[in-house]
Amino acid sequence: MGCSSSLPDRSSGQLAGLNSENGGVSDAKNLRVKLVLLGDSGVGKSCIVLRFVRGQFDPTSKVTVGASFLSQTIALQDSTTVKFEIWDTAGQERYAALAPLYYRGAAVAVVVYDITSPESFAKAQYWVKELQKHGNPDIVMALVGNKADLNEKREVPVQDGIDYAEKNGMFFIETSAKTADNINQLFEEIAKRLPRPASS
Amino acid sequence: MSSDSSSTSGDEFTNPNPNPNSTSKPLEDQFASAALTQPNNEPPEIQESPNGVVNGSVGENNHGEVESNEREGEVGSNLEARQSVRWRRTNSEVEVEAPSSPSSSGYAGERGSSSGSGSSGGFDMIGGGIGGGDDDEIQEVSNVDSIQDSQASWMPGKRHVDEDDASLSWRKRKKHFFILSNSGKPIYSRYGDEHKLAGFSATLQAIISFVENGGDRVKLVRAGNHQVVFLVKGPIYLVCISCTEEPYESLRGQLELIYGQMLLILTKSVNRCFEKNPKFDMTPLLGGTDVVFSSLIHSFSWNPATFLHAYTCLPLAYATRQAAGAILQDVADSGVLFAILMCKHKVISLVGAQKASLHPDDMLLLANFVMSSESFRTSESFSPICLPRYNPMAFLYAYVHYLDVDTYLMLLTTSSDAFYHLKDCRIRIEMVLLKSNVLSEVQRSMLDGGMHVEDLPTDPLPRSGTLSPHLGQPRDSLESFKEPFVGIGGPAGLWHLCTVVYFWINMYLLSSHHQLIAHVNRKDYIGLTRTFMLPCMI
Repeated sequence: MGCSSSLPDRSSGQLAGLNSENGGVSDAKNLRVKLVLLGDSGVGKSCIVLRFVRGQFDPTSKVTVGASFLSQTIALQDSTTVKFEIWDTAGQERYAALAPLYYRGAAVAVVVYDITSPESFAKAQYWVKELQKHGNPDIVMALVGNKADLNEKREVPVQDGIDYAEKNGMFFIETSAKTADNINQLFEEIAKRLPRPASS
Repeated sequence: MSSDSSSTSGDEFTNPNPNPNSTSKPLEDQFASAALTQPNNEPPEIQESPNGVVNGSVGENNHGEVESNEREGEVGSNLEARQSVRWRRTNSEVEVEAPSSPSSSGYAGERGSSSGSGSSGGFDMIGGGIGGGDDDEIQEVSNVDSIQDSQASWMPGKRHVDEDDASLSWRKRKKHFFILSNSGKPIYSRYGDEHKLAGFSATLQAIISFVENGGDRVKLVRAGNHQVVFLVKGPIYLVCISCTEEPYESLRGQLELIYGQMLLILTKSVNRCFEKNPKFDMTPLLGGTDVVFSSLIHSFSWNPATFLHAYTCLPLAYATRQAAGAILQDVADSGVLFAILMCKHKVISLVGAQKASLHPDDMLLLANFVMSSESFRTSESFSPICLPRYNPMAFLYAYVHYLDVDTYLMLLTTSSDAFYHLKDCRIRIEMVLLKSNVLSEVQRSMLDGGMHVEDLPTDPLPRSGTLSPHLGQPRDSLESFKEPFVGIGGPAGLWHLCTVVYFWINMYLLSSHHQLIAHVNRKDYIGLTRTFMLPCMI
């Protein structure tokens, strides 16, 4: 289902459609990047995005269907702006085969797990491997442990996340969409790590 | 009740005694017989031949006939014939197959442990119902009887999602829907946790495969006032257990829609999973879609589109709809397969690419899917969906965006790369709709609540444009309805249609027997459906 066909050589001719407006970089001062969120269902991907884009948190769980598209621009201290075009994908199993549709050509992948759920951490590792195999080779990856507010129910130690991220060259952070903890930091960190055009 | 939506046939309407069904009984007779036969504890029969089932829908007529025959105790030897097959005392095979056959009362004691423990408990329950002889003993045991019991002492407010087939409250539900695999694995249940219903699912599967082993198919089991309707779709089995007195065709149509809804989410290619692994567990694939199915099932009780195979139009002035249609046509020409603008379950306008036609059932399922999935409301989405009537094997890609609280645009395409193009299309459409005030007109029409039954003349005969006070009030958005009745097409046709629907709704309410609705010939519906669709297709 498109999964097998999406080999890593995508920077070339396939930048149509989903990627057509995502050159990655518009100009030196105004970056535009495609960001994809991946992770098991129920880990809070949509909540992270909605907290970041709209500053809202909705505790009622709304299952994402397919993928939602949102965008948000942030300004960095060095007066550059970064416009994130965010693909918030559905975590359900039936959409796993369609994920390449969304992460193809993405400059940033945010892989999310729930610190109270070891299964979701395992699923996050699956996504990391998937991206390493089929994603953009220059992709910036972040590993996010969400629901940090539920620390008393924690089942995935912080150190596990840090170790795994380090091994795979990822940026690691724990967030809480509920309390807004580290949400903006997550995206700011990502923005800082983006490859800049030569002129900057 | 908002009835502005439906379609029926003009022919029906002019004929005071419509007899679309094969049985040429006047309506009065059907009423009479329906009133006469109170379902009692007769054993359930399994109706086999297609004819038998058609017969069944005529209502209780067939019931009576069956009762008189029931002691014959035939088992499917004569399947081709019009006779129903029934198991009474002849179902020794059934009981032999059941691993152990504790006495019925014994089963009652074990109820708590029956869930998930294979088929014996559940099977016996049905077996008890089928055996039917010793009513006293099995009163609590047989599914049938316990639910009948419940009718006398219906306790509202007992709603637990965590119930299973052992809970009395679960058994008392008026209408159950199940999806299961042909290996008996539960896929969906309207009430209760699917996983806890493994035993019950296995029972249903056993019934189906028992009949299939005899080279036949089970369509309907009637047990007292309960009907058990089966629908087999390859490796997927759908079952409805209902005491709502809806006719077989109606329940079967609902199962077809549920199956269609499943295809819309997964496509028919799930069948391949079962080919590879017959014990494949499908529940994870449908994760998070409970709300889609429950909202569809709920719509069976309020949305006429579910049985009319027609979709509902939002009443709008001609010029407004024209404006919406024009811009949708514009984008459809740019490679969009279908462009659909809807407000809740009502169609504002719909345009398809050349030669592509969208079946009203697909529209219904798509709209249900979009409206029941909250995530579409939060932001624009791009999601794979399958239109079962268009192509059950393949995904299309749906760009969905809510333009306001109730109004949403769906752009369907075959290309998985078309998101940005569709996004541009949506921006164009949204601009045009805002400029031409379509969205505010739509909201106004929604506030008006569409058409009401009381808007319609009470005389069911055709008449020339006499308007009730409510509709007669000058309202721009409904301007078009003021044209006198001239024929079946255009807005006047819609008007005519509404009067027909009103007639039928009257009959429906009066009769309190849903059968009447189903008696309207489907062809007539389709004829008028086309006319009905006209105003919004322009």
